[in-house]
Amino acid sequence: MMNERLLEIRGVTHLFDGLTAVNSVTTHVAHNELVGLIGPNGAGKTTLFNLISGFITPSEGEIRFAGRSLAGMKPHRIARLGIGRTFQNLRILPNMTVFDNVSIGALAAFGHTPWQALAGGGGTVSRRISELTRDVLDQVALSDQAGVLAANLSYGRRKYLEIARALATRPKLLILDEPAAGLNDTETTELADFIVGLVSQGITVLLVEHRMSLVMSICHRVIVLASGSKIADADPATVQRDPVVLESYLGTGE
Amino acid sequence: MIDIYFVQQIINGLSIGLVYALIAIGFTLIFGVLNVVNFAHGEVYTIGAFAGLMLITWIAPPVLAIVLMVLAAGAFVGIGLERLAFRPFRRFRDEASLKSRAMREATLLSSLAVSITAREVMNLAFGSQMQTIPHAYLLQRPIVFGQLSITVGDLVIFVASALMLASLQFMLFRTRIGLSIRAVSNSPLGARYVGIDTDRAIVATFAIGSMLGAAAGILVGLYDGMITPQMGFAPGIKAFVAMVMGGLSSIPGAVICALILGVSESVATEFLASGWKDLVSYSFLIVTLVFFPQGLFGVGRERA
Amino acid sequence: MASAVSARKNVSGPTIPPAVLKAMLAIFLFIIVPVALSWIGGGYLFQVATTTLIFIILASSLNLVTGTAGLLSLGHAGFYGIGAYAAALLSTRLGLSFLATLPLAGVAAGAVGVLVALPTMRLVSIYFAVATLGIGEMIYVILLNWTGFTHGPMGIRGIPPIDLLGWQPGTPLFDYLVVAAVTALSLWAMSRLMHSYYGNALRAVREDDQCADAMGLNVVRLKIEAFGVSCFFAGIAGALFCHTAGFISPDQFRFAESINILAMVVVGGLGSLPGAVIGAALLIILPEALRSFGDFRMIAIGSIMFLSILLQPKGLLGEASALDLLRRQFGQGWSGNFATRVGWR
Repeated sequence: MMNERLLEIRGVTHLFDGLTAVNSVTTHVAHNELVGLIGPNGAGKTTLFNLISGFITPSEGEIRFAGRSLAGMKPHRIARLGIGRTFQNLRILPNMTVFDNVSIGALAAFGHTPWQALAGGGGTVSRRISELTRDVLDQVALSDQAGVLAANLSYGRRKYLEIARALATRPKLLILDEPAAGLNDTETTELADFIVGLVSQGITVLLVEHRMSLVMSICHRVIVLASGSKIADADPATVQRDPVVLESYLGTGE
Repeated sequence: MIDIYFVQQIINGLSIGLVYALIAIGFTLIFGVLNVVNFAHGEVYTIGAFAGLMLITWIAPPVLAIVLMVLAAGAFVGIGLERLAFRPFRRFRDEASLKSRAMREATLLSSLAVSITAREVMNLAFGSQMQTIPHAYLLQRPIVFGQLSITVGDLVIFVASALMLASLQFMLFRTRIGLSIRAVSNSPLGARYVGIDTDRAIVATFAIGSMLGAAAGILVGLYDGMITPQMGFAPGIKAFVAMVMGGLSSIPGAVICALILGVSESVATEFLASGWKDLVSYSFLIVTLVFFPQGLFGVGRERA
Repeated sequence: MASAVSARKNVSGPTIPPAVLKAMLAIFLFIIVPVALSWIGGGYLFQVATTTLIFIILASSLNLVTGTAGLLSLGHAGFYGIGAYAAALLSTRLGLSFLATLPLAGVAAGAVGVLVALPTMRLVSIYFAVATLGIGEMIYVILLNWTGFTHGPMGIRGIPPIDLLGWQPGTPLFDYLVVAAVTALSLWAMSRLMHSYYGNALRAVREDDQCADAMGLNVVRLKIEAFGVSCFFAGIAGALFCHTAGFISPDQFRFAESINILAMVVVGGLGSLPGAVIGAALLIILPEALRSFGDFRMIAIGSIMFLSILLQPKGLLGEASALDLLRRQFGQGWSGNFATRVGWR
């Protein structure tokens, strides 16, 4: 039986140089949910993402994915379990083509060994990687720019490249770190549609965003962090009316 | 009963260690300020020794004068080195590029290239064989304390090192330039915001570090009696090991670890044939890197 | 970097199909060069050519680990030495033939490389570089002092020349042809490794290893593999060297040699296989051609390396337009042109 809750965060605390970056946060993301994570700057959202990805380990509490505890797992193991992520500052490789950038994600799905390389482009693994990469490129509408150097892509397209690379890892859970940052309204709407499309294909999505319009319009559920603690966890309409949430945003100009 | 020979080995080791310490301080200072390893530092040591030899051959001044002049030569070389191999790569003035990997790799390779070139130039100029220091200058006369016999050289190294360390301490904590060096070590961008001239601080760091390195070179030259253009390679690596063991940005740490290395080496020659003694330092290096990435004395956090 | 950069200029204009190019190179290597050298004078010239080929293997393997995977290794000569000594000892003490000593030397060097890499691979790049320096020196000290095993500074003499199943002409021409064959094979293997999805993984590790980790790439394993493979080829080069030289001593495998090899990679362009080849050829042939300046060789190397880094950080195969054709040619082989090749064929 499929676990109802794909991602479970239980009492996770992370101390960082004496600062409590994340304070006993308990929440979850269910299968096929679209969950938004919001909060003022410094609330601990990126820290939480890094905890999920495995870059840092919680000082207390545990994180479970598909029923398995992620304690002590290296980031690449966590990625192979099915958590894909994007980064706020777009860590694509500028000197490689679009195609090659996406293929990095596909590599994880099929394994990477020197023998596979020696077998050349015709080997089974290579062919599978090529196929998966092409499919993902189609998905994000970057097929026609596959041979372009990533550095030459427009900002908006680079966002999709970053997502494409994460998609190539065939994730069950996709974590997006501020995917709409720097996009104009039209582009944001397009992105929103795209994300909803991903969810309809069966992927679970957890995203951090500052653009309220995006979060409130597409998310099934919204989690609010402030100063490391969770202060709200409900559907968008409820969260928008929550006085505690409103107060935490006052004075930050959000 | 303490074996007197053993004590002798320890004293021997301490003076070797002090030499390593002087070189290690240069590494540490430069690393603290620029976050890069100066591969050419070992050659400054060699240059110090050869500068001393040249002074002796041409002018034959008293020993103290030689040391002072070598200090000046060291500073000069250090400043030149900074300008040649390090400054051209600091093209941009922002934090990101000051720490950038590309810059660090570039300066690593460039200081490496400079060190090879310098070594080869000296090889050509002086020949790769050993050069001897004229007998009159040698510090090899023994001083006897009961059963203990040390040489004048040991004493000179102890005293000279103590003086230099004390002056360094004074300079770092009681002078303006020392303050700016410490500020830049801590945070280059912050220092600039406060109006400190980072470039000047960096140049000063190179000057001071190289002075100490060059002084170490001439002291060893006078102590051993023989110098070669290759002499800077091994001590350079050992001083680097001391710096890493000491936690990278800690001068006291580097000094203590240098002493540990010197004594270990000296004691090891008891049990191993002398050809193997370099292995001691290399083993320390690997063990430290693998098991004590923070250095033996904590704060080994590499700046980004 | 250069082979990735090669795609930057839009790959247009006529280029020779890779298969034809390979055929051309083969003809050059196996027919044109031997014929030309025999005609000019043979003997010594063949030795220079052989040395060039050996260093081509060394520079390319260093490029694999330093240029492609981004791990600066300052102890490459040590593994070259392990290969040389392994082959020398296997042939002089156990009487094994070349066909056995060659792969075994590679395996020995590769195994030591992996052993060394396992505990040190988690180190940040500069520490790893210094660790490799230390290891290279340790290898030298051991070779020098373990006299019972390695004859210490006296070195090992009387190493039998290359023999293929009993056929042992021992002539410079024969040696050259065998070395050329091994070099061609090695370059083929390394090219396959670098220009493949696996190569992409290595480049991802070089550019941003934390991100590569998050994308599911086992970064530590990849680094260790790259290091091991590069040491394997260094060992192969060592075996080739010892059988063609007949005599080896520890002094030939010191830090200075590691720097030599590094300079070849830097001059040719970090990350570029053809760059490493050209860098090696340049830094061997040029000093030979300028024999009268023999003493200045290391100075020249140091200066060239310094100038390369200062003026042309991408090396020869960077932006120089004169070599555009070469770049386009080799760039065509991999990711450059999506229109004609999707992924890898």
